[in-house]
Amino acid sequence: MNEVTKTVAHGATQAKSPIFPKLAFWGKIKQQRAAKLSLMVLLLISVIGIIGPWIAPYDPTESNYEAFLQGPSAKHVLGTDAIGRDLFSRILYGTRVTLVVAVMAVGITVAAGTMIGVISAYVGGFIDHLLMRIMDILLALPGIILALAIVAALGPSQTNAMIAIGISSIPSFARLIRAATLVIMSSGYVEASRSIGTPSWWIILFQVLPNITNVLFVYMTLFVGGAILDTAALGFIGLGAQPPTPEWGTMLNEGKDYLSDAWWLATYPGLAITIVVLAVNRLGDALRDIFDPRTQK
Amino acid sequence: MTTPILEVKGLCKLFRMKKGWLQQPHYVHALNGIDVSVYEGETLGIVGESGCGKSTLGKCILRLLDPVQGEIRFQGNEIGKMNKNEVRAVRRNMQMVFQNPFETLNPKLTIGHILTEPLIAHCVPREQRQALLEETIEIVGMSKQHLSRYPHEFSGGQRQRIGIARALILRPKLIIADEPVSALDVSIQSQILNLLQDLQEQFSLTYVFISHDLSVVEHIADKVAVMYLGEIIEFAEKEKLFGRPLHPYTQALLSAKPITDPDDTREQIVLSGDLPSPSNPPEGCKFHPRCRSRMEICKVELPKLSEKEGHSVACHLYQSFAAIDSS
Repeated sequence: MNEVTKTVAHGATQAKSPIFPKLAFWGKIKQQRAAKLSLMVLLLISVIGIIGPWIAPYDPTESNYEAFLQGPSAKHVLGTDAIGRDLFSRILYGTRVTLVVAVMAVGITVAAGTMIGVISAYVGGFIDHLLMRIMDILLALPGIILALAIVAALGPSQTNAMIAIGISSIPSFARLIRAATLVIMSSGYVEASRSIGTPSWWIILFQVLPNITNVLFVYMTLFVGGAILDTAALGFIGLGAQPPTPEWGTMLNEGKDYLSDAWWLATYPGLAITIVVLAVNRLGDALRDIFDPRTQK
Repeated sequence: MTTPILEVKGLCKLFRMKKGWLQQPHYVHALNGIDVSVYEGETLGIVGESGCGKSTLGKCILRLLDPVQGEIRFQGNEIGKMNKNEVRAVRRNMQMVFQNPFETLNPKLTIGHILTEPLIAHCVPREQRQALLEETIEIVGMSKQHLSRYPHEFSGGQRQRIGIARALILRPKLIIADEPVSALDVSIQSQILNLLQDLQEQFSLTYVFISHDLSVVEHIADKVAVMYLGEIIEFAEKEKLFGRPLHPYTQALLSAKPITDPDDTREQIVLSGDLPSPSNPPEGCKFHPRCRSRMEICKVELPKLSEKEGHSVACHLYQSFAAIDSS
């Protein structure tokens, strides 16, 4: 979640750049009602992620044998599960778990993907071919299957799920960054830098990276949505966060067995996932529209 | 005479056109045996129509492109075969000014940052940097307040001044200017040209000035080389070349120059046909399909650049004369 708010903050600090002046950026976010709404939803959810444990009415792992499988009521807003844990509290705690896993996973993706993409485009030749063919091989497997394989190899846990999701989306991220870097590499100022005799690290750090940050942040936002889904998916099939940790996907899995008796058990975690993913993706789309000159009218 | 600061001998550059990995690779001869030399303090103008290899030559001299064959001697050192680190060191004395000042300044960096780059690249001590920055920006006619601004805040002419400052900040010996004024308005062009000339005097610079604009080259150059399809076809001092062009192509080029005197009834030579594709140049003299004084020999034999009284020309018309003279 924090990644998303950072995205916006960065857009604002780059205000001096001619292409994305501060006012235009905020003006455009404001113009798009859906984007504004998603931004507000995400801010709210990240606040919940931070303060959730303090506002939760019950302990998320404490079972209450006097109240199991109770429907939504004044005492338990979203009902209770099979061993009497308060669903609302579990969802509040789960916000943090789900978001941390997703954001850390995207962190891994961004760090490794950017490095591979930039190096591949900058060095070119054999290294480029080698790295991209490895990425092609990984891309041949659907991301979630790759993540499954990695988790299966490392053993199911929250940390391993994070690593697996991060690694599984490196290939597509690296490709996108490589393409963006190639555009910058062919620009006049990189050639000018080379003619000066500037060392490669300086060109990458000060010529290439500042000019791909827009692309980077847009893709990052879009990838957060996918990572939340993957986190939930791994949790659902029991390879993510382990019970009794309140993670949305895991909760969904526990709730599916009671669908006919207690609909709320699976419905509310599912709804939470849907809202977050929708908001992140909508914001990502809006950012892409704002930053992509081709879609500007 | 002293040795030239830059001497290019038999320089060739091929570009590989890849059609598919099963097909035979196809090559484009961008540069074909270029011989040219510049002495310290001189300005060498290189003219030719677009696609003739002017910019490729400039980039090869700086080793932005690697030549296939030939020698490039700069201050007596052969740089054509140097490795990357040696080339980087040489670039301290050899800088480039680019054509489009809108593209060659990074929009995300301040002018100060852009101008510091060469200083960092060549390990100029930190204490000297600020003084050099302020001095150089004022030499090119701007003020040190401009250092904290971004490229988009400047006009084309100012940006080109920044480009010149970037090339000048290391106090190089040789500056390769690749069409430095062709992206600018005519009124700004003369300011930039005058600036370049002032700098030449002040720092005893040597220029390789690449342009398609004959009037500009006539204004600034001491010697002029005319290029056609990757070859130099005529090379002489400015007065000789503009006063009495020998090669039919140069004659046609000069006749196409706009005339300011309405009473001047000069004959205009109109070339027929287009520039042939450099990937498939004509046999013999490359200019012969468009030449109005072609002979039979032109279709089969490539004329060599031969010199007479400091005026070199690659044309069979004059080679036969030279042969008669010497016999």
